[in-house]
This record gives sequence, C-alpha cells and structure tokens, in this order.
Amino acid sequence: MRVETRRRWAITGLTGPAYLWLTVTIFLPLSAMLYFSFQMKGPFGKHTSEFTLKHYDAFFTKDYLQALTWRSLEMGFHTTALCLIIGFPAAYILAKRIKGRWREALFLLVVLPFWSNALVRIFSWTIVLRPDGFLDRAVHLVLPGVPPIDLTDSYAAIIIGLTHSYLPYMILTCYLSLQAIDDSLIEAARSMGARAHTIFWRIILPLSIPGLAAGTVLIFVPVIGSFFEPKLLGGTQGAMIGTVIEEQFTVVSNWPLGGALSFILLAIILLILGVSSPFLRQHMKSS
Amino acid sequence: MSEVSARNVTKRYGELRALDNVSLDFPDGSFFALLGPSGSGKTTLLRSIAGFVEPEEGEILIDGVDVAHIPAHKRDIGMVFQNYALFPHMNVFDNIAFGLSVRGVSKADTRKRVGDLLDLVQLSGLDERKPKQLSGGQQQRVALARALVTDPKVLLLDEPLGALDKRLRQEMQIELKQIQRAVGITAIFVTHDQEEALTLSDQIAIINDGKLVQIGEPNEIYENPRTRFAASFLGDANFMEGSVDGDRVTVENLGALATSSPLAGARATLAVRPEKMQLTALDAAVSEGNRVEGTVTQRVFSGTSVTYIVETAAGPMRTFQQNAGDRMFDADEKVAITWSPNHTVVVED
Amino acid sequence: MNTHRFMCRIGDGFGKFFLFLVLFFLYVPIVVLALMSFNESMHYQLPFEFSTRWYVDLASNERLLTASFNSVMLALVNTVIATILGTMAAFAFARYRFRGRTILQLLLFPPITIPWLIIGVSMLVLFFWTGIGRGLHAMLLGHVALSLPYVIIVVGARLASFGPELEEAAASLGATPLQSFMRVSVPVMLPGMVAAGLFAFAVSFDQFVISYFLAAPGISVLPVEIFSAIRKGFTPEVNAISTIMIVVSMSVFLIFARLSKFGGER
Repeated sequence: MRVETRRRWAITGLTGPAYLWLTVTIFLPLSAMLYFSFQMKGPFGKHTSEFTLKHYDAFFTKDYLQALTWRSLEMGFHTTALCLIIGFPAAYILAKRIKGRWREALFLLVVLPFWSNALVRIFSWTIVLRPDGFLDRAVHLVLPGVPPIDLTDSYAAIIIGLTHSYLPYMILTCYLSLQAIDDSLIEAARSMGARAHTIFWRIILPLSIPGLAAGTVLIFVPVIGSFFEPKLLGGTQGAMIGTVIEEQFTVVSNWPLGGALSFILLAIILLILGVSSPFLRQHMKSS
Repeated sequence: MSEVSARNVTKRYGELRALDNVSLDFPDGSFFALLGPSGSGKTTLLRSIAGFVEPEEGEILIDGVDVAHIPAHKRDIGMVFQNYALFPHMNVFDNIAFGLSVRGVSKADTRKRVGDLLDLVQLSGLDERKPKQLSGGQQQRVALARALVTDPKVLLLDEPLGALDKRLRQEMQIELKQIQRAVGITAIFVTHDQEEALTLSDQIAIINDGKLVQIGEPNEIYENPRTRFAASFLGDANFMEGSVDGDRVTVENLGALATSSPLAGARATLAVRPEKMQLTALDAAVSEGNRVEGTVTQRVFSGTSVTYIVETAAGPMRTFQQNAGDRMFDADEKVAITWSPNHTVVVED
Repeated sequence: MNTHRFMCRIGDGFGKFFLFLVLFFLYVPIVVLALMSFNESMHYQLPFEFSTRWYVDLASNERLLTASFNSVMLALVNTVIATILGTMAAFAFARYRFRGRTILQLLLFPPITIPWLIIGVSMLVLFFWTGIGRGLHAMLLGHVALSLPYVIIVVGARLASFGPELEEAAASLGATPLQSFMRVSVPVMLPGMVAAGLFAFAVSFDQFVISYFLAAPGISVLPVEIFSAIRKGFTPEVNAISTIMIVVSMSVFLIFARLSKFGGER
C-alpha cells in the first residue's frame, strides 16, 4: 500500500505543524491552568504539588464572586439584547430594502469599524461620554435646559461601549441569513395572500434564526469574559468576573484562584453553548 | 500505442463494492467505451487505470507491466476530465505545455510540439487566451491537446462530452474519433450516454453494480444483448417472459413465439428491439415469424420515425416505424405486430 | 394601491434613516477620537483648534515608537507563519478524506470561541511555568494560534471552489506531488492566501488581550502601551497613535474585502 503510506505522510506533514502549534499555545496552556487551579500555589519559586479544591470552593462560599458572575451574565444579556434590537432591523433593511452597489458599500461600512482595535474604540467612548464631551454638548445643543450628562464610570457606559464593539457581529450574521432568503419566497407568500406581518413572523423570522442564534452566541460569550471594557468605561462600577480573573494574574498574583474562576466561567459558557446547540443545529438543518 | 488490461480488479468503499472482480482487455489502438449508469463503477475503473484509485485486489497492466505501485504521475497517461480541469491561472499555451514543462523539455521543442497540437485540435491563434475566455467546445479541445501533448501510452476520458450541448456534442464526437485515429492512441472513455458509446467506440463494456455485464463491438452488443439490463441500457427493448417449449417460448396470453437463439432451462425472457417490429393492419397478409395483436394506445410522431405504444395481451409494447409515407395508425386502432425469429433474442434476467 | 405604495415609501424612508442612525452610532466615537487628535487642547477642550502638535510629539515618544515597531514586526512575522501553516492544513482538509479530519476541524473552534481572557491567562501560566517566559516570542506564539483558525477557514473557502481534479490533471500530466502543489495548487490558492494573510495581520496588529498578559516589562506592543497610557490618564498623543492604528487596520480590511471578493469570482 505505497500510495496509502504516501497519503498518510502528506496528511501528517500538512496538518502537523499547525496543530502542534495549537497544542503548545491553546491546549497545553489550558491543561496547565487546569492543573494549577487544583494546586495550593501557582508556579512560583520551587513548586511542590499540593492538591486542593479551595479555589473552586471559594466561588461557592464567597458571595461577591457569585454576585460578580451574575453581574457579568447580566452585562452579557443587556449587550446581546441591545445588539439584537438594533442589529436585526439594520440587517433586514440592508438585506431586503437596499439594492445594488449601495448595499455593498453600506455593508462594508457596517463591518469596517470591526477591523479597528477594540481597545481604541472603547477608549474613544471615554472621550465621547465624559462630562463636557461630545454627548453632553450634543444633548445640550438640542435641549439646553437639562442637567449635565456624565456617563463616566457607569454601567450604562459599559453597555454602550460593548454594544458598539459587538453590534457589527449581529448585523453580519443576520445579514448573511437574511440575504440567503430568496425574494421569490416572499413573493410566493404574498401571492397566496399573506400580509406583511404574517410574512415576517412565518417566513423571514424563522429562516433568519440561524443568523440570530449565531450572532447571540458570538456576542454573549466574549462579553461575559470581557475585562478591559468594564475597566475603562466602568471605573469603580466596572467590577466583573472578568476583571477579577485578570487581577488574580496581574495584581494579586493568586494564579490558582484565577485559573479556577476561568474554568468556572468556561463551564458556564459551555453550558450555554450546550443548551443552545440542539436549538442551533435544528434550525441550521431546517434552513 | 499500448494495451491496457484489468485483471480481477476489486475496489470496496466500506461495504459497497464499486468494482467486483472485473477483468477486461483494452486492445492496442482501440477506442473503448465503459458504459453504465451513474454509480456503476465505470468511473472507478477509469480512475484505477489513471492511478487515482487504488484497488484492493487484482492488477492493472499497461503494456504488460503491473502498475499497482506506480503513482499516477509516473504512469504516462493522458486524461481528459469531465469539467476539463484546465488550470485557471495559465493560458492555453501554458496549459498544453504543462506536461512538457514538468518533464523539462526545451523551450524550442515545447513551442513546436504545442503548435502541432494546437493545429490538431484547430485552436491555432488562441494560445494567449485564458480558459475562462474560451467556449465549452474550445475548452474541451484544449483539454484534449493537453492530454495528448506528452504522447501518452493511453488516453483516458471521463464523460468527455458531458458538459456540451447536443449539437456541439455530435460535432465533437466525430472530431474526437478522427483525432484518436490520427494519433493512433489507445483511448478509454467513460460515459452514461448510450448513443455516445455507440457512435464513438469500437468496443463497449457495459458495467453495472461494479460488475462487467457484456463486452463487444457496438453492433454486436446491440443486436445480441446478453442480459435484460444490457438490452434496456443500450437501446430500447420489449421483453416477454414465458416457458420453454421445444424450440419455442410460450408466453402467457400471446402464444408460442419463435426465436433463433438457442434455448435452455424451463423459462426464458425474450427481448425484441422496437424498430425490428412491423406494424400492420389486422387483415394484412401474414408474413412469416411471430405475430401478436393489440390496440394502439399512443402515437408519437418525431419526423423520421413514428413511435407507437401498442397494448397487447401481455402488456404494452413499443415499436418504431420508419416514416416511409405510409398511412399512420390511429389511437384505438387494432393492429398486428410481426417480427422475425432472428430478431428475438433470449436474455438473462 | 397608491396608499400601499405610499406606506412602503414611508417604510423605506424610515428604514434608511434607521440605518443612518446605526452608522452614526458606529462612527461617532471613532470620528471624535480622530478629531481630538488634531485639537490643540491638552484636555479635549473646545472650541476646536486645529493642530498637528500631538503627531509631532509622537515622533519623539520613544516608548510608543518602539511599541509601534514591535507591533508591525510581530504582525508581519505572524502573518508569514500563520499563512504558511494554515494554508498547508487547509490544503490537507480540502484534498484528503481521513479519519480524525472532523475532529481536527472542530479543534479550530476553541481558539475562536474561548474568551481571549481565558486563553491569555492560561498561556501566561504555561509559558511562565515552562520557562518560555514572556515577551515578543510569547506573543508570537499566541498570535499565530489565534490567526491559524481564520487562515484555515479563509483559504479552505477558496480551495472549495476548485475541485481536486486540478491536482489530478497535473498528476496525469506527469507532475510530481511537489510540482503539482507549487505550480497548480499554490497559484490557485494565492488570492485566498493573500486575503488570509491580511486577516492574520489584522488579528495580530489589533490584538490586545493576549499581548497584555504576555508583555514583559519594557517589551511591549502598541495596544498594551495605549492601555497603560489610558490608565495613567490619557493625552491627545494617545489619540494620535490610535488614529494611526485605526487607519492602518481599516486599510488592511479594505484591501482584504477587495481581494476576497475578486478571489471568489475567479
């Protein structure tokens, strides 16, 4: 079987380097962190192995960790909901109401900001939202009487910044789903006497669920793991599970606790993906 | 000029046997058609000869040499692919020259050889075009020239005309055959189109379910199909089943029918080609041979011929009548169908 | 009839206005950021007074200049490595059916779906523990890992539009596997490879989270420097360098968009 042997070598040679790289940089690090999350101490000085569950236990005994996790989930929920409310109609208008070159150009404009540094975009909001900043001045230009608007270090600022960061994701995934819906399907429904809202609820919405679901997952997961956005925009209001994890590594140097919290967060994410995946798959198939 | 043989070739895909103990000789200089429905294994056989498929059992010989352990690029074959597989980033000249260039042939020789082939396929002057800028027929010619440029031992063609429209296909059939003769190369081509197999090839192998059904010259297979499948896949046929009764076959409700084929066993299936049957009025003089009565249920006029579906006591039969200017029969008209025992072929089920 | 058409037009007009608002929301902060980098005032004070002083200051800011240089070099090296390794893997996926293929393809998702925070801190743990340490080499390890899945997907999409017959045709004409790969597969994949390379460049150039955890004192890249500058209290100098970053990334994307479109048509 010389052909078969050659084939096997080719496959190994072609995929090997990429996957070796991924092993060293993704899978081994996760395993190492899993190991240390069950250890008394991090990899400092002379390391002696000592098994413990106390870092996982901390999550269940310390109320503030649960409260912050809950807050992160809330933040994910609010951001995703806002992206949905703004993103789906925008994608619909783009996919079904605008034609030709304009559509291409506008679509490009929508995804373009996505390609700039997320940190810089969050930073730009601090300038817009600060007292006497762009928002404050713009509002006072229209309504001179209102009290000064200062969203610095507020929960609202975090949500605005995150929505701005992730909105293009939702528009992109919904747009791809909506664009795949053949216009003749809508015309067929209309020819059978379906009214606009019937067409929307019975045809357009069910067929665009894969895009909505993909957008939701793609936004919710990174948002609950975000840390620099709440830090920069939330200030004292910005404590989240993500910032706590980050601080275990950069400030407190309690790496095992940071590792344990990371895996708890990962477990929550997997749970969400697990719950939504049959739903996702079913709709992927039907469309 | 070379001969190719397949000996007891078997290829499995899991449980499925794509090729089941197939043995076949492709004589030197022949134009050989592998004919069968899709999924019959004909393409697997062609790809085994090319070296893209590795059979589990049996051997493939090119000029008597077992090529099992010779990879495709060392087999010295030429192949024309179904969608031509022209290299999109190269122009016509570079596409045709590719086989020479990987062999390190000099620039001058390449120029001359490619020029000759461009003449052969009548594409001179189009060397600079990209494949995208060519019509389907032109792409087909480039693919053919590219496959022939290295003077391969055997030319393999995978549904070579499948992507062309009907008129162009007929033109290309003639041209392909001329080029094959002129070059004198052994050519093996895969097709599911019976008409293409009949017009192009001097030998046909019918393949079904991974097994060889029948091999022979086109007219031989057409006139004497060995099985019911061969009879119906290559052309049309009316089938009648009955019990063997001496040198006749008694078909229920039709009576005894004569055949010139040898008979064996208790039951037999008879096949008769639609154009071998004559349709006459009931009261016409009875010619020798087999005669069956029935009622015309459908008449389809197609210019050169008329197709009648006649309901008989043994079910519907299809007949073709040359349009010789005679009176046509109408629907519901009672008619007699007659045919010669020489055209009554016994086939296996 | 006419009322229906009238309602439609109102709907359309409203829709376009809505889309305009969305774009306004997306671009306002970026435009404000860029404008402020050209404003004379230290504290973003208005009225606006045009000045290029922050860009001039930038030219003498050693830290930011070094970080910029590091960022560009890192992104370039990352692009080369990720594009080559990713293309090889994409080619294997497109041209071979083998056991474990689906599993390998599924393994591309963790780097995309696990929050960067978790990937970043886990890299920190392993690299620190094993002595790989922190610094540009560690960032390179991380950036390539994040770029690889995207490269494999982009090049794979390009390859999917050309069947394996091209390589078979090359083999039937006597080309060795290497000849066939270099003279047929690579030229055919090239538009996809260029698009994937630009993508990989952007992934690395804009990457903050991974770099943040893997930066060593004194060895840093632009986003990490910007972060610490913001935390210290920002100056319009940061606006200036941020504006440059945005312009670079967006240009890379525009080239990417052009290429991937033309790539799909060929």
